[in-house]
Amino acid sequence: MSNLILLNPEIILACAGLLILLAGAFIGESRAKLLFHLGTISAAAVLGMIITQAAMSAYGMGTMWVLDPGAQLFKFVILAATVFTLLLSVNYSAIQPRHIGTYTALLLWASCGMMLLSGALDFIYLLISLELISISCFILTGFEQKNPRSAEGAIKYFLMGGLSTAVTIYGISLFYGATGTTNLLNYASSVDFHFGDPAYVMGMLFILVGFGFKISMVPFHFWAPDAYEGAPTPVTAYLSVASKLAALGAMMRIFTGVIPHYALNITLLIAVLAALTMTLGNLTALFQTNIKRLLAYSSIAQAGYMLIGLVVADPIGRESVFFYALAYLVTNMGAFAVAMVVAGKTGSYELDAYNGLAKRSLGLAIVMVMFLLSLAGIPPLVGFVAKFYVFASAVNSHQFLWLAVLGVLNSVVSVYYYMNIARRMFFTESKDPSAVETDMYTAGVIVITSAATLLMGLLPETFMRIVKDCVSFRI
Amino acid sequence: MTLSHYLALSGILFAIGLFGVLTRRNIIGILMSIELMLNAANINFVAFNRFLYPGQYLGHTTVIFVITLAAAEVVVGLALVMAIYKNLKSIYVEDYNILKG
Repeated sequence: MSNLILLNPEIILACAGLLILLAGAFIGESRAKLLFHLGTISAAAVLGMIITQAAMSAYGMGTMWVLDPGAQLFKFVILAATVFTLLLSVNYSAIQPRHIGTYTALLLWASCGMMLLSGALDFIYLLISLELISISCFILTGFEQKNPRSAEGAIKYFLMGGLSTAVTIYGISLFYGATGTTNLLNYASSVDFHFGDPAYVMGMLFILVGFGFKISMVPFHFWAPDAYEGAPTPVTAYLSVASKLAALGAMMRIFTGVIPHYALNITLLIAVLAALTMTLGNLTALFQTNIKRLLAYSSIAQAGYMLIGLVVADPIGRESVFFYALAYLVTNMGAFAVAMVVAGKTGSYELDAYNGLAKRSLGLAIVMVMFLLSLAGIPPLVGFVAKFYVFASAVNSHQFLWLAVLGVLNSVVSVYYYMNIARRMFFTESKDPSAVETDMYTAGVIVITSAATLLMGLLPETFMRIVKDCVSFRI
Repeated sequence: MTLSHYLALSGILFAIGLFGVLTRRNIIGILMSIELMLNAANINFVAFNRFLYPGQYLGHTTVIFVITLAAAEVVVGLALVMAIYKNLKSIYVEDYNILKG
């Protein structure tokens, strides 16, 4: 059974990307923004398809990939991030009108790769989806051709990404050598798990390193701040949300779902890396003066918090990562949207641009404070519930109590740099008192994300129920 | 020739590649080092298939995939190198230092 029909959402998205690329070659520059709308509509339509398929559970092409509620939740998050990114891009001036078709197509293909990744059960399939994501994202990062920052960010991202791919492939080759298969399901259902086999252990560690690069886990996080600062802001938002969460989803499936614990116990290793990731991310964020770099380091720290749920790896831990993914999606997208609006007006991503923002545009300042509080984990916003959930899972497991304690301490540290921006907005004066205007599309994204941030924080039970239904990985 | 010969070769290639990525200043050199690492993996795949699982084709087919991926990646990489060369007039990584903090 090839079950190709299960791939319909991905196929439709890829074809939409091709059509938009083609249309981009023929459409006049004055009407090129239509392509953003086409892209948004196709991503939203596929999002609808995913929701109708939410309860499905099946294998495709033998056991190459799997369709299960867990994968569907990650696809939902990815597509929502794509829709937000496209809406943010509409009025982002650095994208030239004649390149809009390419830009939209690449975004859709990257999302397609992430959707494939979230269901991957075979290392070859996983590799190809990873490359589809990486290659599209490299180009998107360097999309502002005339801007040396963009080019530099892209080249650093490319070198690190290429290195991580090479390491991953080498890991996969060792895994193949040890087990004779690249299929995770064949491996998981075999009698012999090869534990202690050096080729197997090395292979899995190399694959972990490869994923570490993708989710910007310390010590493989060097590329993240540079790529995030150089990339066009909507792409930065996309990289920090979709690309990170897709890789985290795949990592969760492989390291906590498929591979049995007694075959390879690297929980402690991941726990130490999670601790390092959140601590280093937060401590470095303290010294940043550029909002994109600050949010980059904050997103490294957030990845560390999410890794806690992955370390715990029981159903509660998994649920907490899923919920955290939803929370992170709306909060981070919103924060980047506000950063984009402010930079659009002031032309600067430095923190000084936020001085006196409350007097220039009170609404913008208030939602920004909301997003920052949510990132810091202050009630009643969604970030608090998500963090509470993750830390509760660690406390519940007893073994990783220290990780929860460290996480709470880190959250306290993070309040300082988040609130520093709030202080600038409300308690300092700006040289330029003119109002900051928000265009319709960005305002739409900000309204949706801020409403979700508040609503999910006030009524977490509804969303937790959805997450609980999604938590099963079929393996 | 036994499996260990091939594995040793691939291990050495991988190590040379990694060393090159970490020490090369020239960006083209880094790209070539990454290619070496990918080819080390290819040797592994083929050697494992030939010596340990002679009935299969999985290792051989995977190599085709990896070669294709590597080609696609290098195309994008060289395009990015062109873009940064136009901006900064340099292919040495130590000159790429606008972004820091």
